[in-house]
Amino acid sequence: MSVRVQLPPLLRGLAGGERWVSAEGRSIGAVLAELGRRNPALALHFFDEQGAIRHNIAFVHEGRIVRAKDAAAHGLAAGDEIVMTNMLAGG
Amino acid sequence: MSVALIVGTPKGAAVLQSKDGRTWNEEFVLRGWPVTASARDDRGRYYAAVNSPNFGVALFASDDLRSWKQLDSAPRYRPEDRGNPEHHRLVARMDFEGKLKGGGRFVDQIWTLHPAHGALYAGVSEAGLFVTHDRGESWEPVEGFNEQPGRESWAPGFGGLGLHTILTDARNPKRMWVGISAAGFFRTDDGGKTWTRKDKDVHAFGGNCVHHVAHDPDNADVLFRQEHFGVYRSDDGGDNWRVLEDGLPVTDMSDGHRCVFGFPMVMDRGSKAVFAVPLDGDFQRFPRDGQLAVYRNTDGEHWQRLTNGLPGNCFAGVLRGAMAADQQKGIYFATTSGALYASADLGESWREIAVGLPRVLSVDAYVQ
Repeated sequence: MSVRVQLPPLLRGLAGGERWVSAEGRSIGAVLAELGRRNPALALHFFDEQGAIRHNIAFVHEGRIVRAKDAAAHGLAAGDEIVMTNMLAGG
Repeated sequence: MSVALIVGTPKGAAVLQSKDGRTWNEEFVLRGWPVTASARDDRGRYYAAVNSPNFGVALFASDDLRSWKQLDSAPRYRPEDRGNPEHHRLVARMDFEGKLKGGGRFVDQIWTLHPAHGALYAGVSEAGLFVTHDRGESWEPVEGFNEQPGRESWAPGFGGLGLHTILTDARNPKRMWVGISAAGFFRTDDGGKTWTRKDKDVHAFGGNCVHHVAHDPDNADVLFRQEHFGVYRSDDGGDNWRVLEDGLPVTDMSDGHRCVFGFPMVMDRGSKAVFAVPLDGDFQRFPRDGQLAVYRNTDGEHWQRLTNGLPGNCFAGVLRGAMAADQQKGIYFATTSGALYASADLGESWREIAVGLPRVLSVDAYVQ
């Protein structure tokens, strides 16, 4: 089951400059794990030392924000698109 | 003689190259990544450490300073490693999700990279030491340091619990030193298995907040130390220290101690000249009366003030990693306001070679 992930600008250089990448998986956690297996450089940025999705990463799925702590098990359907971003800081 | 500088900033790295020491070509690379340290290994490959509060720590490598490729591996603690609560408290500003409350230990910054004896060492925060023997393809923790008894009582400096200084002995691969704010200065004589604090007679307030230490690896036991509280010299590898402030601007410190405050300490190995950039007090942290001044020690005892070509209206600081020697009489440093200065004559005269950079975190110089 394939979904598309929009990478944040900082990480696109690690994916050949691509904005969108495709991966198999039924949850955000599974999709990130698949992307990380294909590209270990990306895995460093997705997952922390404890294997959790880095806590300041956030996702947008079907117009809703999914925070890192809820993302691993967040379900996806074939053809879904998710936007990977980060918690915003600044002003 | 061609020289390259890698200047790390929170927004990327400026790479400056010059063939004559006067005209510099500047490129800004790794855009968007905070660049905190760089190094060149003994086979000529360059490394740049990056971190991001959102996407973590990584290393990029380059053979030509233009094209940078991220390595697939980086220093990382184990899932079971426990972190220091005081360090967590200091770095929790970006911990939106409360992750640190779980108590884990995380690499949140690479403070320094140090090539020696065919290996490349990384000093990180939360304080720890890592090493690679395969040009960054894999990293190993130096367990004897990272898990040593007593680390649970280490107190962080204002910037966190960072291992920012690594020194090695060219003649004795088993001896090395590391400095941690504010846990102190440590030495191993058995290749990293055991470590001993080397802070005797160095003024402390809570912990020993070592800021930077310089030496010549070929005469490794003579150490010059910029501490939060003063400038010191050791002639026995850190077993004993004495104050070395003749000619330096002594200032009132927050705890009432009077001494010299500053961050970088750099040596030109050929001449053995040592360089420091004192700041006025730990409560304001800019050059006295705004006159940016480098101080040079050529006889191991006395310091000489050098200001030729440096501005008299500088109210910025110079961070510990933001000064370097190219070991060919070239000295380079940059300020927290993004101005980069170069001297080709051991500090006798200075030129501003870049302006408008972000806050400068690191400066490293490489003769090519």
